[in-house]
Amino acid sequence: MSAAAELPTKEAHILKGHEGAVLAARFNGDGNYALTCGKDRTIRLWNPHRGILIKTYKSHGREVRDVHVTSDNAKFCSCGGDRQVYYWDVSTGRVIRKFRGHDGEVNAVKFNDSSSVVVSAGFDRSLRVWDCRSHSVEPVQIIDTFLDTVMSVVLTKTEIIGGSVDGTVRTFDMRIGREMSDNLGQPVNCISISNDGNCVLAGCLDSTLRLLDRTTGELLQVYRGHISKSFKTDCCLTNSDAHVIGGSEDGLVFFWDLVDAKVVSKFRAHDLVVTSVSYHPKEDCMLTSSVDGTVRVWKK
Amino acid sequence: MGSDEEDFVFHGTPIEREEEIASRKKKAVAGASGNLRTLPAWKQEVTDEEGRRRFHGAFTGGYSAGYYNTVGSKEGWAPQSFTSSRKNRAGARKQSISDFLDEDEKADMEGKSLSASSQFDTFGFTAAEHSRKQAEKEQHERPSAIPGPVPDELVAPVSESIGVKLLLKMGWRRGHSIKDVRASSDARREARKAFLAFSTDEITKETPDSLVSETEAETSLGPQFNEDIKNSESTPVYVLNPKQDLHGLGYDPFKHAPEFREKKRSRLSANKEVGFRKPLSMKESLFGPKSGKIAPGFGIGALEELDVEDEDVYAGYDFDQTYVIEDEQPARPSNDNRLRLTSKEHDVLPGFGAAKNSDYSMERFNPPKIPKDFVARHKFSGPLEAETKPTVSAPPEVPPPADNNLKLLIEGFATFVSRCGKLYEDLSREKNQSNQLFDFLREGNGHDYYARRLWEEQQKRKDQSKLTLDVKLSPTVQKMTAETRGSLLGEKPLQRSLKETDTSASSGGSFQFPTNLSDTFTKSASSQEAADAVKPFKDDPAKQERFEQFLKEKYKGGLRTTDSNRVNSMSESARAQERLDFEAAAEAIEKGKAYKEVRRATEQPIDFLAGGLQFTSGGTEQINDTGVVDMKSSKTYPKREEFQWRPSPLLCKRFDLPDPFMGKLPPAPRARNKMDSLIFLPDTVKATRQVSESQEPKKETSIEEPEVEVEVENVERPVDLYKAIFSDDSEDDEDQPITGKIQEGQEKKNEAAATTLNRLIAGDFLESLGKELGFEVPSDVPYQEGIKPIEEESKSRSKPEDSSDKRLDRSGLKEKVEEKRSSLILGSEEEKSRKKREKSPRKRSGGNDLSSGESSGDERRRKRSNRKDRHRNNNSESDSSSDYHNQDKQGSRSRRKRRESSREKRSSHKKHSKHHRTKKSSSSRYSSDEEQKESRQEKKRRRD
Repeated sequence: MSAAAELPTKEAHILKGHEGAVLAARFNGDGNYALTCGKDRTIRLWNPHRGILIKTYKSHGREVRDVHVTSDNAKFCSCGGDRQVYYWDVSTGRVIRKFRGHDGEVNAVKFNDSSSVVVSAGFDRSLRVWDCRSHSVEPVQIIDTFLDTVMSVVLTKTEIIGGSVDGTVRTFDMRIGREMSDNLGQPVNCISISNDGNCVLAGCLDSTLRLLDRTTGELLQVYRGHISKSFKTDCCLTNSDAHVIGGSEDGLVFFWDLVDAKVVSKFRAHDLVVTSVSYHPKEDCMLTSSVDGTVRVWKK
Repeated sequence: MGSDEEDFVFHGTPIEREEEIASRKKKAVAGASGNLRTLPAWKQEVTDEEGRRRFHGAFTGGYSAGYYNTVGSKEGWAPQSFTSSRKNRAGARKQSISDFLDEDEKADMEGKSLSASSQFDTFGFTAAEHSRKQAEKEQHERPSAIPGPVPDELVAPVSESIGVKLLLKMGWRRGHSIKDVRASSDARREARKAFLAFSTDEITKETPDSLVSETEAETSLGPQFNEDIKNSESTPVYVLNPKQDLHGLGYDPFKHAPEFREKKRSRLSANKEVGFRKPLSMKESLFGPKSGKIAPGFGIGALEELDVEDEDVYAGYDFDQTYVIEDEQPARPSNDNRLRLTSKEHDVLPGFGAAKNSDYSMERFNPPKIPKDFVARHKFSGPLEAETKPTVSAPPEVPPPADNNLKLLIEGFATFVSRCGKLYEDLSREKNQSNQLFDFLREGNGHDYYARRLWEEQQKRKDQSKLTLDVKLSPTVQKMTAETRGSLLGEKPLQRSLKETDTSASSGGSFQFPTNLSDTFTKSASSQEAADAVKPFKDDPAKQERFEQFLKEKYKGGLRTTDSNRVNSMSESARAQERLDFEAAAEAIEKGKAYKEVRRATEQPIDFLAGGLQFTSGGTEQINDTGVVDMKSSKTYPKREEFQWRPSPLLCKRFDLPDPFMGKLPPAPRARNKMDSLIFLPDTVKATRQVSESQEPKKETSIEEPEVEVEVENVERPVDLYKAIFSDDSEDDEDQPITGKIQEGQEKKNEAAATTLNRLIAGDFLESLGKELGFEVPSDVPYQEGIKPIEEESKSRSKPEDSSDKRLDRSGLKEKVEEKRSSLILGSEEEKSRKKREKSPRKRSGGNDLSSGESSGDERRRKRSNRKDRHRNNNSESDSSSDYHNQDKQGSRSRRKRRESSREKRSSHKKHSKHHRTKKSSSSRYSSDEEQKESRQEKKRRRD
């Protein structure tokens, strides 16, 4: 089990502070900080490596479901049950802009590489692109070809990828103006892109993670063992793309080998549903958040 | 004193008061009672308690100060004396607040220090003090038996408090408990127990407390007996809940949050049963049944109403460390221990003491002595070994009995016994006790010969097995015994093993036994079967044979014989290659077993050798139905489709990408108003209807036919309806049917023209796009101005759409079913939608209902509008006076309809927006232009 030894399975810190479920935990671009958000309508900025709470952002009217930081760490965006996308200033803690328009809860939010737009995925079956540069609060684009709730969104330099409960992972390529829809037949809970950008990992609600080749849409591998049937649980790849990580509804976290889909390691991270897993962009460090109200930092 | 007062009879002495004071008082009373309050503010007078005017005008002395509006006192203004001499320096005088207060203010200040007057102070120190003083006073007057001053402590007559007086009036007598004796004996006992448990220290010594307990023991025997004895009976009830926390006396941390009390109690009790923490359903207690699943702790604002989205999908979790931070009791464990200890100690009845030394002593037994020759290891005496021991010495050789039959029988039996073990001999001996033939088993005829035979057989067998089984000796025997035992017990031998024994028997010899045996004991037996069925190397019989051999050996589990003796011709590498192949094939076969119905594997056996990768994937294949489903679904999924998608120019700009559509025709220009786009929506209602139909496949055929026709007939949407809902305020006035249907007709034309134009542009665009992408583009439908062609077009289109719709919807249905099965919650949305679905039973109800309810209503509406449109078409050309009345009526009806629908829309807007599944069905009629776009895209796809 030399492979397992490389994995961050030792608890380094517990980040306590959220009252109620923590719905997402995300590293910032360089992995030095982490943002978490949850049921208590707050977003919290942490130093996960020292286990310190730095700042709390309050403005959301309902639970906060997702958060994402710009690459320059100056701004971040968040979304949640109040159907709005918030665009925040990190240092002052003020809301710069609120983007209204989603006709339902907003499940996920992401910046593009240059942090010029925010893309949000909503319960209203749409992806919306919001402009951060201009003062317009109207969406730049509404992508509404999904047939059901869009659960997750990922951006590349040229593409917008959304995963939806209708079972599709849709890639919208801006260069050629095409939409590629990969129907997986199972509601897609969470999508995450490999670091080399060639594969997309889709967590489906049949307790399966599926790895797709992005160019051909071919199913490369299937990862099973965890439970993901009714909650939004995250999945991601390690920064080396060697392992696949998935949270389970029984509080476990699973590590699979990317290639042969063997469960390399699994351990109990939380007592309750693991809502989110996030991997450090460079080091072997992982964040998990759970319904039990804690965020845990895992290291080697 | 007025004259009217003379009629009354007065008791007591009247209070004498000065006239003017009285009048002032009256005034004050009147003021207080509100007579003056009714006056405007500037006319009201502020008076002091004496009724004197408090404030005066600036010219009459300003506000009242001091004595009658003067600065001084009754004696006049006197400055404070201040003397300071060289000898007597005036120190810094400390001023107190009372120096600056008026008398009424001082009274107020005093009022703050509230204290019970002695009359009402039942328990307080003041009462005792007071009574003591009283007694002291009386001491002097009263002649006493004891000369001299009596110590105060001895004689302290307690003045009765008002409470005692009240109780006495209510019939209470001194020395009785206040409680109802009969009702509360149980409660009292409980209280006593608690009290005992709590104040254990006192009890150990013989203190009044234990006396109390003793007397109370008596009371439990006869309640009437103790009536007069007891005044300690009224044990305070609070002892029921002994104080175990560190809060101040009487402080209740849960005073305003009683829900948490319950939680804490349950946690405490849970703590007692170690480790088990049950999820607490505090939502009931918190918010009542209405808001079943609200996340605890996160209320929504007062102005917001509870909605589905406020449900807590993570309900059932225990939020423990959050909220109510109350100090835990650090001293508790020790306290607990003490309690437990003492309660154990005081398990004895009150009045009894635990004996210091008891007569009872435990009787102890020595462990049994182990015999010296005992080996602490059990040895199973196999039948063979059991036999071999006594037969070590060979019985003498005996000539066979004369009877040939008997000889044969003996020989056969001996062989059998040697194979099956001594057990069999014993058994048959017992069985055939009366049988003459089997006399040789006992000391009868031929016994010697039998013994000899048996020994010979055994020797033979031993040699054989030694020859063949150098690894494992016993299995053969064991196997045989298992079988024989099975047959003896009347068990039906397994099919497989039978077959194998047959084959082995046919091939002859006991050599086969080991293989067979291992086959039966290792799991592979079925693989044998599979190997029979699956012959992956049909075309190469030699290879197939080798493969079978390989399979056998693979599952044999013992040492593997090298097959080199057989396949000498093969090179090492070839052999290795073949071995790999075999491994793969075997694995494939085993996997194939998992889903037996998937016989495809057996049909193309070589195939799975070709794609070697297949075998490595899915190592954790599950052998159940889902595995099959997955297998199947993975065949169909993932499915890739590609569509046109147009990013907005700004989006491309923000992503620093060139717009792929730059310079191309812009997308179909946005409709002039929302109305246009809505009118020519394809009938998506139809789609959902079919979904519901396919849910009831039995009724499908009967229902579908007429409906399809209806759909074909109804192509146009009721324009007015949409208008009523979606048109802007500015259009509302032209919308009114009374103001002019000519105008409306005109507008209609305009709209038709506009949409046709749009359509043409879109068609153009599509065509060009299609050419670009190398798709076949269907030839253009010749468009004409007006409504009819469009009608035709959609008519012609409706047919193929039907089928595709059905297909689409089936998949949709499948999704639904799957979704239902997996009972998504999915961050509350899914459940929400499900609930909504349930909430709208109309859509879920049976096919009959559906057709008669929703669709027929729809049809009616559409028909009506159709009729109206026809009217209008006529009207636009011809004189409309004859129709006017009729039209008006219809207009009013439709207006009502509109109003209804708009109301419906308003009320259900939220729902529709949330309700993504049924949205398509229910709200597509009112859907926005985004939906229209979507549908257009769908159409595009279909055309492609």
